Amino acid sequence: MVPTDKLPAVRDAGRIPSVTESRRSLKSTAAAVKAHPAQQSLSLTPPPESSKVTLHAGRTRVRQLWLCIHLPRLPLEALNARGAAIAVFENQQGNPRVLLPDFKAERLGIKPGLSVNAALALVPKLELAERSPEKESRVLERLAAWAERFTSMVSIEAPDLLLLEIGGSLQLFGDIETLRQQIESGLAEQGFSPSAAIAPAALASVWLARAGRQVCIEDTKNLAGTLGPLPLYCLEWPESVRESLHGMGIYCIGDCLRLPRQGFARRFGAARLLQLDRALGRLPDPRKSYRAPERFCEEYELSEEQSDSELLLKVGRQLLSNLERFLTTRQLEVRHVQFSFFHLRSAATHLTVGCMQAGRTTEQWLELLAIRFERLALPEPVIAIRLRSGAGQALQAVAGTLFHANGRQSASITHLLERLSARMGDESVHGVTTVAEHRPHYAWSTAETTAETKGSRLPPCAAMQNHWHAHQSPLLLADIRRTNSLLLRRPLWMLPEPLPLATDESGKPTYTGPLKLVNGPERLETGWWDGHGIARDYFVAVNAKGVHLWIYRNRKRSRNKEATWYLHGIFG
Amino acid sequence: MNDALENLLRNPRVWQGIQQAGGPEGLATAYPTGYASLDRHLPGGGWPRYALTEILLEHYGTGELKLLMPALARLSNADEIDPQSGGDREAGWIAWIAPPFQPYPPALLQWGINLQHMLIVHPRQDIEALWAAEQALSSGNCAAVLVWSDVLDEKTSRRLQLAAEKGQSWAIAFRPLKALLQSSAAALRIELTAGEQGTDVRILKSRGGRPVSVPDVIHNDAG
Repeated sequence: MVPTDKLPAVRDAGRIPSVTESRRSLKSTAAAVKAHPAQQSLSLTPPPESSKVTLHAGRTRVRQLWLCIHLPRLPLEALNARGAAIAVFENQQGNPRVLLPDFKAERLGIKPGLSVNAALALVPKLELAERSPEKESRVLERLAAWAERFTSMVSIEAPDLLLLEIGGSLQLFGDIETLRQQIESGLAEQGFSPSAAIAPAALASVWLARAGRQVCIEDTKNLAGTLGPLPLYCLEWPESVRESLHGMGIYCIGDCLRLPRQGFARRFGAARLLQLDRALGRLPDPRKSYRAPERFCEEYELSEEQSDSELLLKVGRQLLSNLERFLTTRQLEVRHVQFSFFHLRSAATHLTVGCMQAGRTTEQWLELLAIRFERLALPEPVIAIRLRSGAGQALQAVAGTLFHANGRQSASITHLLERLSARMGDESVHGVTTVAEHRPHYAWSTAETTAETKGSRLPPCAAMQNHWHAHQSPLLLADIRRTNSLLLRRPLWMLPEPLPLATDESGKPTYTGPLKLVNGPERLETGWWDGHGIARDYFVAVNAKGVHLWIYRNRKRSRNKEATWYLHGIFG
Repeated sequence: MNDALENLLRNPRVWQGIQQAGGPEGLATAYPTGYASLDRHLPGGGWPRYALTEILLEHYGTGELKLLMPALARLSNADEIDPQSGGDREAGWIAWIAPPFQPYPPALLQWGINLQHMLIVHPRQDIEALWAAEQALSSGNCAAVLVWSDVLDEKTSRRLQLAAEKGQSWAIAFRPLKALLQSSAAALRIELTAGEQGTDVRILKSRGGRPVSVPDVIHNDAG
C-alpha cells in the first residue's frame, strides 16, 4: 500500500505550524528540518524513522526524550483550597455544571457533569468555585519556571500540560527513573497530582500523558505499538472529526495509522496526517521553549480583609521567599522590590523597599520591610498583596574568607546604611566627595555610600592622600600647607546657602557684633560656562565671641543695593 | 557581705576608675588627640576609646571640629591593629548624625580625612538622630559617631555609652552649655570656650582623670 505518485500540494498549509516560527527550537530539531525538507510538501511515503540525527563529521547528538506532565486536576489544584469538600464548576451551554469535585466531594456523591443545583441539593455544605483559566495558566507558568531546574527546554502545552526535554539532562540526573521520580515528587510536594509519560517524540508523550499511560518509551521503534491502542479522545481533534472516524469504525490511533495516507489526508486534512507522523517521530516537532519573565511578580489574595500587621508581614515573608527562589534559579539579584497592598474601596498602597547591596536573603528583606511597615499608614484593611521585583542584575558572587571575618564588616556597613535609609529615606543618608572646582559651593557633592564603590574609585586628591599615608602619625595642618602651597584655608562648616550680613554705618559687616577681618582677601571669580559665575572676595573674620567665620564680599554690582556681604562658612 | 559588695560592683551605675585609667590597658584604650597639651591631661593620653565623649559649647565654630580632626583623620585612614583580635581592622567609618551645617569636604580633605568613609545622616526628627546614633554605634562598623542633639539626657547618654561599648566605637555628642546642669554617663565631658589666642578646653569630667582647664589647646592660626 505504498503509494508512489507525487503528493498533492498541501491545501491548508496555513494550519501547519511553521518551523521557522519557533525561533528558539532546539538545535537538533533545526538540523533535523534541514535533513527533511519534506515539511512543506507532504510526502505520501512515510518519512524514514530517525532515532539519531547525524550532524556534520559524524558527531551524534543526544537523542531527544520528552517527558510530558499532565495535570488532570489542575482546575481544582490551582485554587489552592484545602479542607472542606469543594468542587469546581464551569458554564457548559449556559448551565453551570460541576467540572471537577475533590476527593471528599466525590465520596459524598458529587460527579463531574452534575448541575450545580443538583450538587448543592446533594451536599448542602459543598463549596463551589468557578473555574478560572487565568489562574490555571498562571499556575502552569509557575510550574514551568520551577521545571527549568531539570532541563533548559520546557514548553507549556495549554491548558494543562508541560513538556520537558529530558534527553539532555540524563547525564546530570543519572537515569530516567531518578529524574522522573524527582519531578513527580517535587510536584506532589507542591500539591499537584501529575501523570507523566516519556517518549522520544513530543506529541507522543502528550497523547500518552493525556491518556494517563505513565509509560517510558526510549526507542522510536516502539512508539507505534504503544500509541496504537490509545483512544481517539487524547488526540483532542474536533468532535466532528472524531464522530466521522467513529462512524468508520475507527476507535484508536492504531486504526488511524492503518488507513491509506492519501485518503486520510484528503478526508481529514493534511495537518492531521502530519500530526500522526510527528507523534511517531517521523517528522521533527519543534516546540517553543518557555522563558520565565525576568522580573518577579506574584500576588497573594487574602481570604478576607486584614489589617493585622503581623499577619501581613507573614504573607510578605512568603512572597519574599518565593522571590528568593526565583532569583536563585536565575542567578540574579535585585536592589528594589515593590509591595502593593490592595484595598477593597480605595486605591492600592505602594511601598518600595530598596537596599544598598543586591542579593539579599528573605530575612534581610523582611527586616527592611518591617522597618518601613512600622511607619506605613494603611487607609483600609488589605485584601491582596503583590510583590514585584525591580530590574535584576547578574548575581555577583563574593568569596568569603576562611579564618577572618573581614568580609563581614563591609557587608554589615551596608546593613547599617539600609536600616538607616529604610527609616529615614534614601535622601537622608549619604556620603561626600570633592569635585575639582574653584567655586566653594561646587567643590563638593554628595556621594552614594555603597560598599561596592569603596576602594574602586581613586580618592579625589590622590597626591595628598598618598602624602597622608606616608606619615602614619596625624599631621599638623602647617605640614600639609608646606607640602602643597595651593591649599588655602577652608572652613569645616559650610552654610547650605550664603547668609546675607548686615552692615554698620561704615559699611563693615556685622554678625552678632562687629566683625574683624583677620585674613584675606582671597579672590574667587568666574564660572561663565554654566551661567553661575561668581565674583567674590573671601575673608576670614572673627566676631566678638571669638568664632572664626568665612565671609565674602560680592563684587558684582547689585541693582537694588542688596547686602553685599555674606557669611558662607564657619571654621568649626 | 562579699555578695553584697559584688552586687554593688555589678551595678552599671557604679563606675570604677580602675577599668578606664592607669596601667598599660588604660594607655591602649585611648586615641591621641593630636594636641600635646590636651593629651597630657587626659587619662591614657587621649580620647577615651569605646566610650561617649561629650563636648559642651556655646556657639558652633568654637573649634569643636578642629579638636577632633587629627583623631578622626587617623581613624578614617589608618589600618589600625585591633588589640582584641590582633589582626588588621578595616579603616573605620565616621558617621555624622544631624550636623547643624554641612561638613565641608575640601576642608575635611585638608585635615586628612578619608572621605570615602564619611557617612552623613540628616534625620527628620531629633529623636531619630539618637536612634540613628545608637544603630551606627552598635553596628560595629563606625570608628566614630558624631551626633548633634538637643534632647540628649542622662538616660539616652547611657544608651549611647552602652552602644559604643557594644560596637567598639567612639561616640561624640555635641551639646549646648546648659547641659552642664544635667548629669551624664559620658566617660569624658569637656567644655570649649574661645579664648584670646585660641580654644580653651575645660575638662569637666573624666573617668580616671581629674577636672582641669587647658588653655589654648588649638591656636587660632591652625585650620
